[in-house]
Amino acid sequence: MPQVAVVQYPGSNCDLDALEVLQKIVRVKTDLVWHKQLTHDNYDGYILPGGFSYGDYLRAGAIAAHSPSLKIVREAAKAGKPVLGICNGFQILVEANLLPGAVLRNANLRFICKWINLRVDNNKTPFTRKMKMGQLLRVPIAHNEGRYYLEPEQIQTLEKNGQVVLRYADNKGDTTMDANPNGSLENIAGICNPDHNVMGLMPHPERASQSELSPYNNAEGRLIFDSMIETIRERNEGRR
Amino acid sequence: MVLKTRNQYRTVEVIIQNKPLARDPEGETIHRNLVLKGGYDLVTGVRAGKLLRMTVQAESGQEAENIVRRLCDDLRIYNPVAHSCEVRIVGKEDRITE
Amino acid sequence: MTVLEEIQKPNLTREEMEYAVRKLGRQPGSVEWAMLEAEWSEHCSYKSSRQVLKQLPTKGPRVLVGPGYDAGVVDVGEGWVITLHIESHNHPSAIDPYGGAATGVGGVVRDILSLGTRPIALLDPLRFGKLDSPHSRWLFENVVRGIGEYGNCIGVPTVGGEVEFDESFERNCLVDVVCVGLGKKKDLVMADADTLGDLVYLVGGSTGRDGIRGASFASRVLTEKSDTERSAVQVPDPFAKKLIIEAVLEAVNSGLVRGMKDLGGGGITCALSEMAAKGGTGMRIELDKVRKREPDMHAAEIMISESQERMALVINPKMEDRLIQTLEKYEIPYSRIGTVTNDGQLTITMGGDIVASAPSRFVAEAPLAHHSSRKPVYIDKLEKTNHPDAPKDLGRTLLRLLASSNIASKEWIYRQYDHEVGIRTLVKPGDADSAHLRLPNGKRLAITIGGNSKRCYLDPYWGSVGAVSEALCNLAATGAQPLAVVDHLQFGNPNNPEVYWTFKETVRGITDYLTAVKVACVGGKVSFYNEDAETGTAIKPSPVISAIGLVEKQTRLIREAFTGKGNDVIIVGETGPEMGGSEYYEHIHRVTGGTVPRVRLKTEKKLLAAIVRTLRSNLALSAHDCSKGGLAVTLSEMAIKSGRVGFKVDLDKLPGKAGRIDEKLFSESPSRFILETERRKTNRVIRSFRRAGILAGKLGETTDDQHLSFGDRMQTFRLDLSEASDIWGRTISEIMEVRSQ
Repeated sequence: MPQVAVVQYPGSNCDLDALEVLQKIVRVKTDLVWHKQLTHDNYDGYILPGGFSYGDYLRAGAIAAHSPSLKIVREAAKAGKPVLGICNGFQILVEANLLPGAVLRNANLRFICKWINLRVDNNKTPFTRKMKMGQLLRVPIAHNEGRYYLEPEQIQTLEKNGQVVLRYADNKGDTTMDANPNGSLENIAGICNPDHNVMGLMPHPERASQSELSPYNNAEGRLIFDSMIETIRERNEGRR
Repeated sequence: MVLKTRNQYRTVEVIIQNKPLARDPEGETIHRNLVLKGGYDLVTGVRAGKLLRMTVQAESGQEAENIVRRLCDDLRIYNPVAHSCEVRIVGKEDRITE
Repeated sequence: MTVLEEIQKPNLTREEMEYAVRKLGRQPGSVEWAMLEAEWSEHCSYKSSRQVLKQLPTKGPRVLVGPGYDAGVVDVGEGWVITLHIESHNHPSAIDPYGGAATGVGGVVRDILSLGTRPIALLDPLRFGKLDSPHSRWLFENVVRGIGEYGNCIGVPTVGGEVEFDESFERNCLVDVVCVGLGKKKDLVMADADTLGDLVYLVGGSTGRDGIRGASFASRVLTEKSDTERSAVQVPDPFAKKLIIEAVLEAVNSGLVRGMKDLGGGGITCALSEMAAKGGTGMRIELDKVRKREPDMHAAEIMISESQERMALVINPKMEDRLIQTLEKYEIPYSRIGTVTNDGQLTITMGGDIVASAPSRFVAEAPLAHHSSRKPVYIDKLEKTNHPDAPKDLGRTLLRLLASSNIASKEWIYRQYDHEVGIRTLVKPGDADSAHLRLPNGKRLAITIGGNSKRCYLDPYWGSVGAVSEALCNLAATGAQPLAVVDHLQFGNPNNPEVYWTFKETVRGITDYLTAVKVACVGGKVSFYNEDAETGTAIKPSPVISAIGLVEKQTRLIREAFTGKGNDVIIVGETGPEMGGSEYYEHIHRVTGGTVPRVRLKTEKKLLAAIVRTLRSNLALSAHDCSKGGLAVTLSEMAIKSGRVGFKVDLDKLPGKAGRIDEKLFSESPSRFILETERRKTNRVIRSFRRAGILAGKLGETTDDQHLSFGDRMQTFRLDLSEASDIWGRTISEIMEVRSQ
């Protein structure tokens, strides 16, 4: 039976949202684990939720990245388990060097809360396997520091390795400047590690997993969680 | 004949922080949750602030400082109700332009 | 009474001081004077308003707790309750808009938390001077940033609000924040400290000299640190707040907390005296146990400090270990500062000595302050204002109104607020007249704001009635049955008889309206002294109402945007030539005067119920109530929000006494709704209103020609949908984003 953990940091505030979606919609056994209590890699997968860990003081995710819980998350990642970082969770993974790059202040220097389109640029990861290449997902963003940045030389490596998973796009699927809400390099919204089992994204799929919550009546966000759980089931079966 | 002018510049740093006796949640959190937990217990305090570094054309450090102080008040670079504003000269250079 | 040295006199009236000596039976000591000065301040005691507020109806079928506690409590069924409160931080925001607004959010959230409920939504009704003033732009920019950063950080969505721009707020902006909480009825924590032997814990931030201003007795006598070293306004710490929210809720859900109160104005003095007074008990408090942030703090300073993020918890001693465990999990500092006694006294010790001892009820219950009132002369004068001539170019007039800051899109504001966190927000900001949140029992909570200072200035009674009506109409327009309201009443100096008169008229208006519609007021605040010290100009009277309503799950979500072409546009309600305080008069003609719109109290309840019934029966595709800018703006907004659907209306079909075309277009008569209906349902809908004695009629149709067309037998005019949409959409962001090129 698959079992995942949503790791809570002081200041996480999308933990209950992720829990609700995983338990009620995706229907997978999920535990909320306070970061100090994550001492063993007992789960099949991990979600680092959104929020303002440590108030985003110093830099978003900078202080949480030093939590001892990251040792377990690193172990799990090394063992090939899926690890998903949403918004602040993505920032924590970047600060902890589990994902490359940096997430900086939005280009317009303001917090932005709105629904955007994401284009699937790699549908072979544990988080996107249930999607089609080029599929558009409508999900909301809500962040102050969402501008993804990487040294230009490294972007090429990222793309070559298929590490760019999701990009901001317009209704036609084009990654235009207008479709880019925060100035992220190459409209990058979500990336993964070279092994593809650790992914971080700035948008909030847990807010787009139930049609009544969406202005478009869609629930595409849940495909990320569905994909993750399918991967876990496969891994568990493979090991038996 | 080409006319050359030599101008003097000063580099001025402006540091904006919360007032000394006001709380500084960011500094306190960095101190408590990062520095101390990281084992650096010889560090007894951290305050956070914003740094602006300005280049000012001025003949003297005092002149540059006066300009920047006036600018900070005029343009509400800081809010005197909540912040303190330190201004200090950190550099000087001559530039020759044609 | 012996004469205190001039410099040592507390900031109380002679009557209050004499009352204190009489009631106590002796001269209060210096710490006791400081406590009384804090607790008997207008802000904490409501001494100028309590008596007048008694007339408000506070009971209702679902009301569990009315005014007098930190928040009102309403039963929403299946064991769930909603808490509601409104707070303001006007004076601090005027000098530090970022910190003042942020800590204002912190304050109202603490009140909701004090009852043991989780804060689940915020709304921000704001008032500033006109946006052509750089000072007002500075305030607006930073207030929005303060509210956004604080609310977003603690993970509570800001789902609605409003902003009104008027010269009277130039030096005295109004920053109000509404908070809604959700919890289980069985977990409700009342503020009372009613059990002998219970322990008093102070958790959260440490205590410094915050809030001890120059005018306060304590600061004059006791401290000499100059203002330059200390911040005049509290520094926000939303991270600390978030930890306190989670720790407190965990403690509450484990049944560890018996009584709780947040520390706001008046600090420890207010919180503890009020808790003990409610419980009919006393407390013995050791100030040495209070965690302090500054050295050499005097007892009086500790008692009245307003340092942020502190909560007082009263617990059964058996629960102490578990409470400590919870607090340590979240690394929240705490200290046990005292116990609950049964002698009715608030006994304060420091260094082993008793520094204050007075009955808790005596401290908590300030003597009433009496004020005279007098109707201002300007009121009758302004009512007689002549009706200005109608402009020739009505289309241009409508465009100017759509572009005016009181009407234009507020998207610039709410894009900065996380309105989705918590995954409860079904109807988002800008979608409809009220926000909708889903509740765990399958129902929906609607929440909204009403207020109009321009009208209240001209006629405080009818203006206030209109403000409440606006809030309830906002609920009805989304199919919600009203549950309760809270009110924030904001005025100038109550010692000015004319100001006090407007306060009384305001409360009279709100009372009459709520009585007519049978809805309770479950809490609120009064904020006086909102006036410019230099010029003595008071703000326009500003009652702000927040209303909550309930929707059964089966109803489809109703929004403002027209849904498609070929549908009928129906008007419900009566349009009269009452232009006083309208945006048309104030913004286009620069006229302050005229008759303020009057609500028909006798038919209001019936009207609201009929609208809700119609929407619940899925008979309307979209709905919007008429407010600022009148019918013309309401229709335009419905088209603009659709993005592609235009309309054509015939103003000769408009029910009501409005005769001139500008009256028909721009009158802000209350209790009117525009419904979009499928052609085959129109007659049925109109008939059902008429049968209930409510005026209703078909005004026109929705079209796909991308025009907003108005006409009567004499003239027609129309606007381009895209032009109207553009100008309405970009006004505020253009004004505020001047920097970015």
